[in-house]
Amino acid sequence: MAKARPLKGLNPSAPTGQNARMIAKVRLEELYSWQKYVDDPYSVRELHNLRIAAKRLRYTFEVFGEFFPEASRSIVEELQQIQDELGELHDSDVMIAILRLCLGSQDAGTISDTAKQKEKPLVQPELVNKLLDPAVAPAAEERYGLEGLLHRQERLREEHYAAFRKHWYELQGRDFRREILDVLKS
Amino acid sequence: MQDQFSPMRAAIDIGSNTIHIVVARSTPDNLDIVEDQVEMVRIGESVNATGEISQQKRDDTIATLNAYKALAEQHGAGQILVVATEAIRKARNSEQFLRDVKRETGLAVQIISSGVEAVLTFLGASYELHNEPNAPAQIGVMDLGGGSMELITAKNMQITWQTSVSIGSGWLHDRYLPSNPPANQEIEVATTFLQTYLENMGIKRFPRVLIVTGGSANSLLYLAQRAFHLDTRNRLTRDDLMRCMGLMMALPAEEIAQRYEQPLARARILPAGALIIQRVMTRLHLDEVRVSPHGIREGLLLAYARYGDQWLERVKENAEAAGSGKEANAPAQFASPKEETFVQSGRRMLLDRTKKMLDWCDEVLKHEDVEAVHKMRVASRRLRATLDAFESCSDPKVFKKLYRKIKKAADILGAARDTDVMLQNLQAQLEQMSDEDRPGLQWLISRLNDYRQEKQQELGRFLRNLDADALEEQAQACIPEGGV
Repeated sequence: MAKARPLKGLNPSAPTGQNARMIAKVRLEELYSWQKYVDDPYSVRELHNLRIAAKRLRYTFEVFGEFFPEASRSIVEELQQIQDELGELHDSDVMIAILRLCLGSQDAGTISDTAKQKEKPLVQPELVNKLLDPAVAPAAEERYGLEGLLHRQERLREEHYAAFRKHWYELQGRDFRREILDVLKS
Repeated sequence: MQDQFSPMRAAIDIGSNTIHIVVARSTPDNLDIVEDQVEMVRIGESVNATGEISQQKRDDTIATLNAYKALAEQHGAGQILVVATEAIRKARNSEQFLRDVKRETGLAVQIISSGVEAVLTFLGASYELHNEPNAPAQIGVMDLGGGSMELITAKNMQITWQTSVSIGSGWLHDRYLPSNPPANQEIEVATTFLQTYLENMGIKRFPRVLIVTGGSANSLLYLAQRAFHLDTRNRLTRDDLMRCMGLMMALPAEEIAQRYEQPLARARILPAGALIIQRVMTRLHLDEVRVSPHGIREGLLLAYARYGDQWLERVKENAEAAGSGKEANAPAQFASPKEETFVQSGRRMLLDRTKKMLDWCDEVLKHEDVEAVHKMRVASRRLRATLDAFESCSDPKVFKKLYRKIKKAADILGAARDTDVMLQNLQAQLEQMSDEDRPGLQWLISRLNDYRQEKQQELGRFLRNLDADALEEQAQACIPEGGV
């Protein structure tokens, strides 16, 4: 998960509404900095970071809700939807990683690699240990079911990605970024 | 005047005497009222007599609320907010009553404390005055209801003192002035009672202007204007009230009702209302009062416009701060939040968000509902977002300590929650799986359940060791008063 961008230039003795708008602008830029990955369905980390950025912007609008106009509520709803869509995509990615891990796929190796990196691993190391415990390894018929589940998850992932991408381009079409900036001006 | 894009909302208050609705386009500082109606149901009458809301009063209330709901919907009100005060607070069968109302009208009624009632009344009764040029700095608001009376003093829009007493016009009528018209002797006894009671009230600051609100005050103004051909200014002098009393002691309530177009139930309690206002004026050394048609309902709309769904929590905080005895140290902030500086907001919001997260501890520890973990995790994220926002004006050492703890809480909650979501998704798929695929899914659910149990134990250990008081203290100390 990418760290939140630092907030510079805030004025502690200025009205909160003024500072809240500056924070929201930083979070908005953060969100759109991940836009270039929207068309790449396998930029798993980057799409997750886009989700986190949407969440940070949403929380900024919620936490400072009393300082923003009513129109910010519809922005929060759109951000929530983006977050939910990307959340489902991320859940699918985690489940696919888990299933590949359980099935001993070579692809699952990326999980242990990322565990060594600074980024939070897709699957928690403790859960990895639990799933790979030889004492409870899946039997042949259980492996068969896990294979079926993996295929199902991969199909679901495609659907989640398609739903998110469609929504994102709808927002682009109506210039959602401009809408947010207009609310921040008022 | 509000623009056409300000949201339309309705507020209903169920009082001891009346049920009142206001529908308005609302912003945090102003209202454009499009509907204002009142029904005299007098729920307090049955509560005073038997301690309960009678079947008749229950039915009358539900019929009124259904009519109001339709009215609000006609105007396109996006929210219908309903509060109830003294009579419902006191009634033994209030819980059943609220369930009946919810079932038969779909409306959720919030019983509010006397402190919250006072704050809402202040907001509603004073917003027009505050919007006037050269508004006086020291003002008082008196809400004379049927079952209780709220008195509030404020300076520069900050409540400095407030109290609520269980004396209202309906109550005084039922206890002291039962005759129609009231007898001289009854008036004397009631006056002595009020005088003694009010003298013992520790009013610390006497306002220069008193705004009186409530049905009785507005009916008295109307009566005075009609009977004595006063001009239309919304003020009542001591002389006006004495003349009203003389009239009401000479004529039975039925005649007052007929001559001055008052509901009979209102005409019966008007002498009691006039007497209470007179005695309060004497106590506050005032020769006249302003009468406002606005009160709780308008305050509720303004509070909702300011604070959204958190209106009750914020008004409660203000009511607690304004409670008697805290006058010197903690005047309640009634300036619109828009006027707060970043540091002021940060101090308030950090503590508020910390408390909100801690509120979920017990539910999470019970481990009965997976949603509690979700709610606490969301609360921890909002707290982190708040911390991120206010880092630049925080004490770095305190900030770091607090941030680490909240991050740790969020991580542990996150691991539990993510597993809950996986389990919920897998359980949902189990039904649709073929018999061949099912064993694999069951194997995975079993592994995840084991993992989730371990996470719950970890979460339990973490929360039991979490010193809530210390965390709140850190949240309070994080942003020094003047910032860093």
